[in-house]
Amino acid sequence: MKKRTLTAGLAFFLCWTALPLILGVGYALLYSVGLVGLLSEGFTLVYWQRVLTHAEFWVDLGYSLSLAAGAMLLATGIALRLVLKHRHSFKQGLLSYLIYLPLAFPAVVAAFLTFQLLGPRGFFSRIALSAGLIATPEQFPAMIHDSWGTGILLTHMAMAVPFLVLLFIHTWENERLDELGQLAQTLGAARRSRTWRVEVPVLIRSSRPTLVLYFLFVVGSYEIPLLIGRESPQMVSVLAIRKLQQYDLTARPEAYIVVLIYLLLVAVLLRTLLVSPTNPKQP
Amino acid sequence: MKKHPFFGVVVATAILSPLMLLGIFSIGKGWPFPKIFPENWSLQNWSDAFTASSGLGQSLGLSLGIGACVAFLATISGFFSARSLAKSSRKNTWLMLAYLPYVLSPVMYAACLQVSFLFLGISGKITGVMLGHFLLAYPFAVILFTGFWNARMEAMAQLAATLGANPVSSYLKVLFPVAKGVLFVCFFQTFLLSWFEYGLTVLIGVGKVPTLTVKVYQYVTEANIHLAALAGCLLVLPPTLMLWINKRYLFTRITL
Repeated sequence: MKKRTLTAGLAFFLCWTALPLILGVGYALLYSVGLVGLLSEGFTLVYWQRVLTHAEFWVDLGYSLSLAAGAMLLATGIALRLVLKHRHSFKQGLLSYLIYLPLAFPAVVAAFLTFQLLGPRGFFSRIALSAGLIATPEQFPAMIHDSWGTGILLTHMAMAVPFLVLLFIHTWENERLDELGQLAQTLGAARRSRTWRVEVPVLIRSSRPTLVLYFLFVVGSYEIPLLIGRESPQMVSVLAIRKLQQYDLTARPEAYIVVLIYLLLVAVLLRTLLVSPTNPKQP
Repeated sequence: MKKHPFFGVVVATAILSPLMLLGIFSIGKGWPFPKIFPENWSLQNWSDAFTASSGLGQSLGLSLGIGACVAFLATISGFFSARSLAKSSRKNTWLMLAYLPYVLSPVMYAACLQVSFLFLGISGKITGVMLGHFLLAYPFAVILFTGFWNARMEAMAQLAATLGANPVSSYLKVLFPVAKGVLFVCFFQTFLLSWFEYGLTVLIGVGKVPTLTVKVYQYVTEANIHLAALAGCLLVLPPTLMLWINKRYLFTRITL
């Protein structure tokens, strides 16, 4: 391959990845300090001060991180349990096909289904009422638009479990964990030690990059909290877009500041969580 | 390993019930509280869906068209530029850049890009939405193909050149046939990225490009659960069929 062709390929890549990002982030930065935009009156840090000193942003950021961490912990735990106990069921027969089905559900449809299932007048509430477990729909536990984000957490968890099951099965085969486990038992490890000292650590370590990226994907999710979340606290993506779409134009610089801080946080998390301790050059 | 007789039934029910509920809601008419299932059943929603007034047929065509174009362009351009990236000494840095649109969140990325689309005069237009989707799909294609361009593939290309193949015939007769599987996976995955996208579509399309995901959201906010379920079925069924057919290709390429 000629050097000119290589340079052209790289330039094309940068043109469609780095350039839009630099232009977008550059504009957001200029807008956030009042240098561009309809209400621009020259350089100011007042918007930054407003966002950084207002509790709303920090609460929403903490809320997004906690919900994502909760959903990932639950989903990882369930997926690990399924793979450790029942992986053969997912490798043959009907389940080997069905396990792919949840991957075909877009977030907006998943959120719609959660709303219809878990809402106060949803499917489960009606079943509980007809079974005599509750007397009015208000007695059904609030899982939609609630401050704990129960519906958001459950929806993300339900979407992540099949993906993680497939990921762990793939990793299991790639890492030849059957042979590795047998070797551990031959060397004297008990069944429990084989699981907790060999299989689970290998699965988690090998899947770490994908787990980290999925976690960040959940932190920045939009459709699910938009449909079944509440306005306060809210996920950080929803906060940014709501500020961007407000009629009050002074909220627009704040929207860009939320995006910029989030970008910075993601970059730091990516760098910290993805760099392998054994090979610092690997992302 | 001990097999649990009911495990398969429980998991299959858990997986299939959302699809069944979507189907039930889509053929239902009226769902007054506290009835567990809709009062009446009719296929009229489905037949009405494809009339001009509901616009669902147009949305389906629009989503299919945008998805297919974006997937085709992303797959072809990703295939060629990934080769340059794979040979670069700073491959890992460039790849990190390719991950950013996803980890930044597509909707936040769209918020940053919105003004550029306004400046180019393509905000609120199909071309704008397509370009927005391409900006998400192309880095994904590059990530996918970087693994393909390994030392073995380069050796194969060099062997073809040594045996007298020019660059064009090297691609047509050696590299494309070898890459057929991964090209198909990439097309499928990038199609899904575009097919499922909501936030970026709404921001760049300013609500004027009614793809199926936009329609689902619109019906949900109008509290029209039957049409929302129908649009949901239309969104879920094509990828389900494609996933089922291609499961053996899929997962080996989507992990890092």
